Amino acid sequence: MTDTLADHADAGLRRGEPLIEMTGIGKSYGAIRALRGINLRVNAGEVTCVLGDNGAGKSTLIKIMSGLHPHNEGSLKVDGKELTFASPREALDHGIATVYQDLAVVSLMEVWRNFFLGSELTAGRFPLAGMKIKDMKRIADEELRKMGIVVKDINQPIGTLSGGQRQCVAIARAVYFGARVLILDEPTAALGVKQSGVVLKYTAAARDAGLGVVFITHNPHHAYLVGDHFIILKLGGTALDKNRSEVGLDELTTQMAGGDELTELSHELGR
Amino acid sequence: MTLSRIRGARLVAVAAVLALGLTACSDGGRQETTDNSGGGGNAPGSSGYTIAMITHETPGDTFWDKIKSGAQQAAKDEGVTLKYSNDPDASKQAVLIQNAVDSKVNGIATTLVTPDALAGSVKAATDAKIPVVGLNAGIDQYQKLGALMYFGSDETVAGTSAGERIAAAGAKHPLCVIHQAGSVSLEARCAGAKSAAPGTENIQVNGADDSSVTSTLQAKLAQDKSIDYIITLGAPIALDALKAKDAAGSSAKVVTFDLNAEIAQQVQDGKVEFSIDQQPYVQGYLAVSSLYLYLKNGNDIGGGKPVLTGPSFVDKTNIDKILPFTKTNTR
Amino acid sequence: MTHVQTSPPSTAPPSDSANRVTLGLSNRILARPEVGALVAAILIFVFFLVSAPAFRSGESFFTVLYQSSTIGIVAVGVGLLMIGGEFDLSAGVITTTAGLVNSMVCWYFGMNLWVGAILSLVFCLFIGFVNGFLVMKTGIPSFLITLGTFFVLQGANLGVTKLVTGSVSSADISQIDGFASLQKIFSSSFKIGPVTVWITVIWWILFVALAAWILQRTRTGNWIYAVGGNPDSARAVGVPVIRTKIGLFMTVSFLGWFIGMHTLYRFNTLQAGNGVGNEFLYIIAAVVGGTLLTGGYGNAIGVAIGAFIFGMTSLGIVYAGWDPNWFKAFLGVMLLLAVLVNLYVKRMSTARKVG
Repeated sequence: MTDTLADHADAGLRRGEPLIEMTGIGKSYGAIRALRGINLRVNAGEVTCVLGDNGAGKSTLIKIMSGLHPHNEGSLKVDGKELTFASPREALDHGIATVYQDLAVVSLMEVWRNFFLGSELTAGRFPLAGMKIKDMKRIADEELRKMGIVVKDINQPIGTLSGGQRQCVAIARAVYFGARVLILDEPTAALGVKQSGVVLKYTAAARDAGLGVVFITHNPHHAYLVGDHFIILKLGGTALDKNRSEVGLDELTTQMAGGDELTELSHELGR
Repeated sequence: MTLSRIRGARLVAVAAVLALGLTACSDGGRQETTDNSGGGGNAPGSSGYTIAMITHETPGDTFWDKIKSGAQQAAKDEGVTLKYSNDPDASKQAVLIQNAVDSKVNGIATTLVTPDALAGSVKAATDAKIPVVGLNAGIDQYQKLGALMYFGSDETVAGTSAGERIAAAGAKHPLCVIHQAGSVSLEARCAGAKSAAPGTENIQVNGADDSSVTSTLQAKLAQDKSIDYIITLGAPIALDALKAKDAAGSSAKVVTFDLNAEIAQQVQDGKVEFSIDQQPYVQGYLAVSSLYLYLKNGNDIGGGKPVLTGPSFVDKTNIDKILPFTKTNTR
Repeated sequence: MTHVQTSPPSTAPPSDSANRVTLGLSNRILARPEVGALVAAILIFVFFLVSAPAFRSGESFFTVLYQSSTIGIVAVGVGLLMIGGEFDLSAGVITTTAGLVNSMVCWYFGMNLWVGAILSLVFCLFIGFVNGFLVMKTGIPSFLITLGTFFVLQGANLGVTKLVTGSVSSADISQIDGFASLQKIFSSSFKIGPVTVWITVIWWILFVALAAWILQRTRTGNWIYAVGGNPDSARAVGVPVIRTKIGLFMTVSFLGWFIGMHTLYRFNTLQAGNGVGNEFLYIIAAVVGGTLLTGGYGNAIGVAIGAFIFGMTSLGIVYAGWDPNWFKAFLGVMLLLAVLVNLYVKRMSTARKVG
């Protein structure tokens, strides 16, 4: 069924082909070194999971990839070309779309306005040109439907949708507007089990459509359901960097829970 | 949208610069005048006295400007260093008086609009042997507070004489326009007018917004067609009242307190019946001069009684003489 | 509260549109931000119709419209800005600044008033730009930045006027070239039967219509809602947040300039201390009109109704011939009522929608 998602995905995507390559990426905010020596590859048709505790450097990593903050160490290659993003717009122009945990959508705005936000269809280029509202509503409705999301009324504020639905709309929007790399920031963090399932299905669907997906989470169970490659961040550095074949859920869970530190702690507490 | 607007703004700026070159010298602007205050005047501070003037001026009122001009001219004429400060808030005015005491000025002139709030600071001044004179407001309390002299007008008297004059002219239902909420002196003027012309009704307007004043008065005139006189308590409000009167098609006559160049012109044109002037310039001038004379010679102006600077009526009979002075900010 | 059935991707044949539920017309109308204000406006209107005989005439109605327009024109801009999530406390005082710049430049240099009007416009847009630029670059709340601008302008209005004219009111400019034509644009009036229609009322309607169009129908409007509702998310999808917000600040100062021009060309002279306090009237109009204080919600028609409620209340008391000392108290009660009715209607509409 993923064909509907695949319909819109870039046909030029070849599975396994590297989309983003980061080598030795680091970022300092003044005297604080938030991130150092990160190597990360995002391949087409694969899900790269980035796990880590709060403050491990996950959000800094996202900001670098999505163009909010430029990196100041190492190299970032997109499609083999080395570059530094100056703005989110630039990252979007390279097909890198980010769906943030709480910030995915503007909740007071209608579903269709959200769907087209930043990529509105207008009748002309001048600032007061009307939007093609009918087309926008129709397309938003059709696209969401094709991707299996049926909203009651395309005119309702997106805030009245459930959390999972909002994430899905945001993902669908990114795919429709030609994202090749999808960065999902804690998409399941605030969701219940059922809603999480919906989002995970979409994540898988995007992967199957050939997109490169970066799945950021602190939940190893969710990560293991969809991931092809796992990176665990700790205090700004890499604590684990393995393919699915090299790592099991148990190891992921232990590492996430604190790994060696946890073992040490259990010795100290000695019960 | 912004970008195009910025570009537009640039274009406009260029056009404006071009136009500036083209249209310099339009009629009706500032008249190039030579300084006519020449002649008199000593170097500031040449008499060695420093006098502080503290008022409750709300910034931006032409009335206070004249008090200040008068005080400045007196300071210039007598070689006094003038320190002017103001705050409409009573407690802050009290602090300003205390500041003057602390900086050991030779004399203090202050308005006494809120006598109770200022009593403490004025006492501090008299305790420090600094002579204090009152001006503009506080005619009933200045002696009790320990001020030596007073220059101003009695608001109730001024209101009453205005009321008497319009009542004599046949006023049945005057409208008294209060442009500042809760002002004692404005209320006193209207109360005075009412005592002489019992049909007087008050109305409250927002004096900080001319269009609001105009439409409020227009509404009032439409609501009550029997209004035959409008008493405004400030010169700018009188101009608004004229607009409102025209818009409402009312035949009410306009009289006003205070004077400025535009009102003087309206008086001459017969649009404003008369203006009750309390001569703020004189208040400022005398306050400083009296302190100077007191410090220098021990003179006492007014002989223990308040010196009234008004009400002075400005109407068709004397406007020709007064009009030129309104343009130099001295009347 | 799920309004949505999610068909899992693997089983979803595109469902036909019969499957979709459209909200009833009444619900959709009630959910609009201006409806609460409209109901309040009608109630107040009827109230004054009943209690103030002088209110019941075309002339009175248009006087109310004039009063509303002088607040409403700037309020449109302030409303847009508030939807965009920012405040502008300098909006009241900038009207006086605009008039003073025009008046004094022309009077002092003896220039055509048109030149001064354009210079004044450039200056006001610059102030708006500075407001926006500082807010966006420093991240300090606009409340504080524009409070600063407010004081700067208030002081400069007085100081510069005193320096230039030697007094704290500007000189009469009615004899300077260009006065007649500018007066036609900014403050003329015409008669329809016995009714005087001020041109500001026409301008007000035009500005409201334009703002409504921009908000509902253009990309810019979409961006305004987005930067007010969730700037981070807007930024993430490529909306130029900084440009949009600076543009909004400049829109406010443009409309402030416009009202400044009206006041100048209607009254010929300006008191340098005027305009202070009106910034709150603009904000009140916007809030009464259903604009959310926190941004992201509201519309232009609502703001216009808010301004109309203000104009109607402030003059209605006069038409009713009540003791003027109670003016502010009446005004406050009316505004509170308007806000409450607004809130009630909004609650009712959401409640129905959920149930």
